Amino acid sequence: MTLEAALGQVLSGISLGMVWFLIAAGLSIIFGTLKILNLAHGSIYMLGGFLCYQVTSAFSHVPGVFWLALLVAPLVTALVGGCIEILLLRRIYGLDMIYQYLLTFGLILIVGEVCKILWGAGYNTVAVPWPLNGTVNLFALSFPKYNLFLIGMGVLVFVGLRVLIGATSLGAVVRAVTHNREIAGALGINVPGVYTGVFMLGCWLAGLAGTLTPPMSVVALGADLSVIIDCFIIVVIGGLGSISGAFLGSIILGLTTAFGLYIIPKLAVAFGFILMIIVLIIRPRGLMGVSD
Amino acid sequence: MAEIRAKPTWLHAPAIRSILISIGFASLIALPALIGKSWLNITIEILIMALAACSLNLMLGYTGLVSFGPAGLYAVGAYTTAILLARFKMNIVPAMIAAPIMAAIVGWAVGWVCVRRTKVYFALLTLAFSQIIWTIIFEWYAVTGGDNGIISIPTPEFFFSIVNSYYFCLAVVGCCIFTLWRIVNSPFGRTLQAIRENPGRVEFIGVNLKRYQLAAFILSSTFLGIAGSLYCVFSDSAFPDFAHWTKSTDMLVVCLLGGLYRFSGPLVGSAIYTILAKTLSKHTMHWNLILGVAIVLLVLLMRNGVMGFLSERLSRKKQARPCA
Amino acid sequence: MLLETRGLRKSFGGLMAVLEVDLQVDHKEIVSIIGPNGAGKSTLFNLITGHIPVDRGEVHFKGKDITRLAPYEISRLGIGRSFQKLNIFPRLSAFQNIQVALFSAKGLNRRLFSSAENSLSEEVEEILENLGLADRSGAPGGLLAHGDQKRLELGIVLALNPELLLLDEPTQGMSAGETSQTTELIYGLVKKRRMGLAFVEHDMKVVFGISDRIYVMHQGTMIFCGSPEEVKSNEEVRNIYLGKGKRRVA
Repeated sequence: MTLEAALGQVLSGISLGMVWFLIAAGLSIIFGTLKILNLAHGSIYMLGGFLCYQVTSAFSHVPGVFWLALLVAPLVTALVGGCIEILLLRRIYGLDMIYQYLLTFGLILIVGEVCKILWGAGYNTVAVPWPLNGTVNLFALSFPKYNLFLIGMGVLVFVGLRVLIGATSLGAVVRAVTHNREIAGALGINVPGVYTGVFMLGCWLAGLAGTLTPPMSVVALGADLSVIIDCFIIVVIGGLGSISGAFLGSIILGLTTAFGLYIIPKLAVAFGFILMIIVLIIRPRGLMGVSD
Repeated sequence: MAEIRAKPTWLHAPAIRSILISIGFASLIALPALIGKSWLNITIEILIMALAACSLNLMLGYTGLVSFGPAGLYAVGAYTTAILLARFKMNIVPAMIAAPIMAAIVGWAVGWVCVRRTKVYFALLTLAFSQIIWTIIFEWYAVTGGDNGIISIPTPEFFFSIVNSYYFCLAVVGCCIFTLWRIVNSPFGRTLQAIRENPGRVEFIGVNLKRYQLAAFILSSTFLGIAGSLYCVFSDSAFPDFAHWTKSTDMLVVCLLGGLYRFSGPLVGSAIYTILAKTLSKHTMHWNLILGVAIVLLVLLMRNGVMGFLSERLSRKKQARPCA
Repeated sequence: MLLETRGLRKSFGGLMAVLEVDLQVDHKEIVSIIGPNGAGKSTLFNLITGHIPVDRGEVHFKGKDITRLAPYEISRLGIGRSFQKLNIFPRLSAFQNIQVALFSAKGLNRRLFSSAENSLSEEVEEILENLGLADRSGAPGGLLAHGDQKRLELGIVLALNPELLLLDEPTQGMSAGETSQTTELIYGLVKKRRMGLAFVEHDMKVVFGISDRIYVMHQGTMIFCGSPEEVKSNEEVRNIYLGKGKRRVA
């Protein structure tokens, strides 16, 4: 493999990873704080994609419509998440894991079918927004500007989340609730409110990821299932509940997939699972997770 | 943990139970004379799913091990028989016997790794392994036919008649379920239930926790393999989706629907689920939506499944209860 | 000597939970361990039964070193342990709770095909009878009253017919009547079956009532060991229970 090709794979892997990171970060925070494995997270991502398509096609005459979608779609998915949390999830906290798994699976079916009803079963595309179309020359290679934008967004969100959770008083509240729900409640923190807020944040992130993906791929059904498993792998590798872990895990999985596809394409799909198993056996709390 | 309910006495009274079982059995045997071919087809699917769900429930409802990947073992059984019949032109009897053996071996290997961890990590491990199995099936074109699957599998003429297939299925599923029934009511089965109730405690009564969990995993895998093998023979085909995690979810839903904590749960759940899936999906384009809503309602409102719900209702009617 | 621990040590992070503990229990001997909350009593039991690994020191049972054995192996050797927090099998009936312990004790739990329905029912009923739970044998363990659950817990341990009993607060939460009933039961069984008993208790009536020797633990160490009279008159022990001590850090 030439250096250029290797670098190409690296960047491709990282930009893939960044989209995953946005979804996985949400999944990880949700598990860390609410202790729920949200299978429907991929569905929220897919919904974000469809909303992006909806906005860009409905307002296609508006210049910079993509940026409008980028603003609107994640807010909508966050609201949807809020409804889900308040109406459904609140009733199953503390129950056996199987109930959470199946309820969120039911949500996958519901959201998937609603998307199918609203937008049909075909492919939909969203154009790469100006000024991100075209390529840029880096290290004598040409990279799509949009991919670099994605990497930038990933890093921006990562930093933003770290600051939010680590350095703000709001973040301190979330950390308190994550650490010990009972004590936080006794200290007067509105625990149900924090739960809703965290879930909405997770859904906002998934919606953001969903909005950012269409310009480089298509909007279609099935994204919910294909992405959720990858994100489970990332969250396990990185550590359930850790944002840095999700970031690291996303990069690892992104690179592994990119190189894997290059080297042994047939088994590339299995790489992630093998990694997941190795991590679960050697260090179950993941690279950066907290022990349970 | 699901709420504790006092075990109802009348539904389980030996006399009532024997009568119900006898009626059930008689109807099953007389069925081909009573219903048409398409319904007979559906009944065969119910039987196979019942076996699969019952096997899963040995791990799930009885031992407390939540597995996200039973479909992997089911597919191992199906593909073992499929490959032996289609590629090696083997006789049907050894081809079918090989399925549970293969499933048990894979179950041993997978289970050994998975029981090293508990709860959500155990579940994620089972998911990872079943997806690896799916990937192997999907990619190993030469042996498994890849995403085309294996079709037009040569089965003996005996199976060309749907009635014969039905009786064969009934016999195999009947024996397996009977065996599972004996297992859960044996001292071993009681020990598994104790593990479900309090895994931390059992070590202090001299039970090697991991060994028993692994045993439950292997037994479960074996019967899942038989179910897969049956389905392969019944449908003359095998597809990678047999191993997909959404197939596992189907089995989990069936168990939940019927009731995790009763032996009859998965059986009832399979009947309800299969009939609804087959009939409703013909009449509506939005079966997925209905199923999704049904699952959500099930989890929120009827966590102990249909059998659990019925037992509660019936036990409330009975006046004297053993204790407060 | 039935049970002997030498120099047991365990720390969690920076906290020394158990420090240089030497404990001895012999056949037909009743030893109690008292001390304020957080003194390390339950941790000590956890170390002996293999629930948590020992940092340093040894545990010997009937002359054999059991320090690194797994809990189920230790249990099979003849050490029965009950827990401070209720630890029964909630959805199994009282009968089944005892029965499953008996299956394990007799090595029957590997039987896959025999029916467990009424297996060993005579022995199970006898144990339930001794515990005063015979009339509730069909009730799910989790629905019994607290005191009954504690006795069921005891029954599970006794079903194993152990040579050494380690009971962690066996009468906690019981009424006065239940306490004396349970205490009599334990005392009688220990003396009759030549068992050794070490128990943790806060109920001083029970402690001074049946103990041959009393160990006093404070902040992880055994600060005193002696007969009930010696303990009652010891200055340091009185201070622990009435005064203040300094927290020891590893």
